[in-house]
Amino acid sequence: MSILINENTKVLIQGITGKEGQKAAGAMLDYGTNVVGGVRPGKGGEKVLGKPVFNTVAEALEAIPDITTTTIYVPPFAAKGAITEAIDAGITQINTIVERIPIKDAAYCLAAAKERGATIIGPSSLGYINPGVGRIGVVGGPKAQADEIYTPGSIGIISRSGGMTNEVSWQIRKAGLGQSAAVHVGGDLLMGTTYADLLRLFEKDDQTKAVVVFGEHGGSYEFEVVEMIESGEYTKPLIIFVGGKFANTLPEGMNIGHAGAIVEKGKGAAEKEAALRGVGALVAGDYEELASLVKPFA
Amino acid sequence: MNLYEFEGKTLFEKHGIMIPGGVTIKRGESIPNVFQDFRVPEVVVKAQVLSGKRGKNNAIRFCSKQEEVEAAVQDLFAMEVRGQYVAAVRIEEKLRIAEEHYLSITYDTNAKQPILVYSAEGGVDIEEVGEEKIVKKLLEIRNLKLEIDLDIPYIQKLWDVFLQEDCRLVEINPLIKTEAGEWYAADAKVAIDDDAFFRHSSRYIEKKKEKGVDVSGVSNWEELEARTMLGRPPTEREIDVQDIDKGENYYRGTAGKYIEMDGDIATLFIGGGASIANMDAMERVGLKPANYTEYSGNPPREKVYELTKIVISKPGLRGLWIAGVVSNFTNVKETFMGTADALAEVMPEYPIVVRRDGPFGAEGKEYFMNFAKEKGLNVVWYGKETSMSETAKVLAEKVNGK
Repeated sequence: MSILINENTKVLIQGITGKEGQKAAGAMLDYGTNVVGGVRPGKGGEKVLGKPVFNTVAEALEAIPDITTTTIYVPPFAAKGAITEAIDAGITQINTIVERIPIKDAAYCLAAAKERGATIIGPSSLGYINPGVGRIGVVGGPKAQADEIYTPGSIGIISRSGGMTNEVSWQIRKAGLGQSAAVHVGGDLLMGTTYADLLRLFEKDDQTKAVVVFGEHGGSYEFEVVEMIESGEYTKPLIIFVGGKFANTLPEGMNIGHAGAIVEKGKGAAEKEAALRGVGALVAGDYEELASLVKPFA
Repeated sequence: MNLYEFEGKTLFEKHGIMIPGGVTIKRGESIPNVFQDFRVPEVVVKAQVLSGKRGKNNAIRFCSKQEEVEAAVQDLFAMEVRGQYVAAVRIEEKLRIAEEHYLSITYDTNAKQPILVYSAEGGVDIEEVGEEKIVKKLLEIRNLKLEIDLDIPYIQKLWDVFLQEDCRLVEINPLIKTEAGEWYAADAKVAIDDDAFFRHSSRYIEKKKEKGVDVSGVSNWEELEARTMLGRPPTEREIDVQDIDKGENYYRGTAGKYIEMDGDIATLFIGGGASIANMDAMERVGLKPANYTEYSGNPPREKVYELTKIVISKPGLRGLWIAGVVSNFTNVKETFMGTADALAEVMPEYPIVVRRDGPFGAEGKEYFMNFAKEKGLNVVWYGKETSMSETAKVLAEKVNGK
């Protein structure tokens, strides 16, 4: 079993002809992801790495009706258009790789997705990887590196940071463990798929025995996790590191790090850790400690 | 970015929200004769800072004589308000207040949509108002015209500000009803979304105008002065760094982040999450950062060069910590070529500790270490076999001469 993707998932790349889109197409195909084509208005009929390019998402779906998943590789100012196009066409999982989308546009897309029952991962999400199954985006980097860092296993990984998704996964691997899935949720103010959403999936996933989270100061997403553990909705071991303790001396309202990492009263790293500890989550002193804390549960 | 009250009020006024008559004075500017200009018996003199709670911190003064105004202005410029630098002072007519209300719109991150918060009991912190006296309503962002069955003054106009000006927060507290029955925004707390700057630039506005689009509700953010919340004016480096991510390819790798701090260890972190974890790691080993800096998303060599140059230009540095994760797709060699370019110009003698790996990691290390050897720089490089926090310890030992 695996969350979010399986061997048959058909994946589309919006913006496939661009530099980042092409790179992602290569990375996904290398890892065995079933990329079936891409979209770029005006370039329908062309091919990228042997995969067909369509003018619109609707055209792609007409040719390949069971595409369920798309990845968005367009510039930030074109993101709202691309995402809403995918939603309107009936795609159910939209991986928003683009960074620096205005909050207003993200909120608009999230409202549209909610109405249609579509899931947005991101924005500013690098993607995710299910070792041995497939990956969305370039998580892990070149195939050889990805294979060194990722191997099928029992640890679920969720991270606010793309780099730390890889770094934490590497620490887990170095400790002799493997991962069930590693998901970068993105560092923006609004998260299409939250820690809580993913914990629900990991809870149901037989392969996953424990989940490791890299969190940050700002926002209240970690508090949703506290509620889930309290209510018994999530029952597996949870090991978390919340970055940004140094920020407690900075003035409220200041932004440091990711766009969503805003210094707010009561939402600092220390407060989040205390609340999580209160419901039995294991809190790591530094990110390296995540691996040693999760090891007994693997 | 947080706006000063006077900037927020300019936005409000543009969208039809009435504000008290007044004048904003920057440092060094002369003070006009406000009683003559406004023809009112009393004025309010308010420090312009980037955070609230001014009333409780003696940063709002009421004056009825010109000499009092002059003394208040001088006094406010000499103080700090909750650690915030006073960038300007605003002098306004004092309203004849009948009622004080509270009105704001911001994003509810759990619901992932905007939320309106209103109370007929404003003028104090909203946290101090009883829950039963507060109205909260989630708003549908796709509706340009609010569909809401509440009779709240300026509610549609504030929504216009929120949407058209790409705000993260708009707050009027107090929203005042005068004895004459008119409504005024007596204060303005506005935070704009930095990622929307591309539609608030001269270039964008000009282009839209050429196409005949009405852009009267869109402000040009390029006119806003640089600022920091660290209780001082922004430093030259903080201002210079903002140029790095400008231009057409602004979103191709981010490298324009530099916050100057009091310590003596220069930092060049790679990745938003890594930067946060590493700042915490420095604290644990007792190193004091000279700056907070982060680049990510595979920026080109030139951007990393510009950023490194700014980071190492600070005087009095005792070490440089360059630390990043095992990268997913950032090209380690290309980015470190940028760093080498900058180091070659400055040739620092202090220890430099690097922790980095990822695509072209081996090539990057080889290039950088050869460069360091050739130039005689004091550099050690760790790859993914060593974790980031461990290399903080290495740097601490080096700068402390152990």
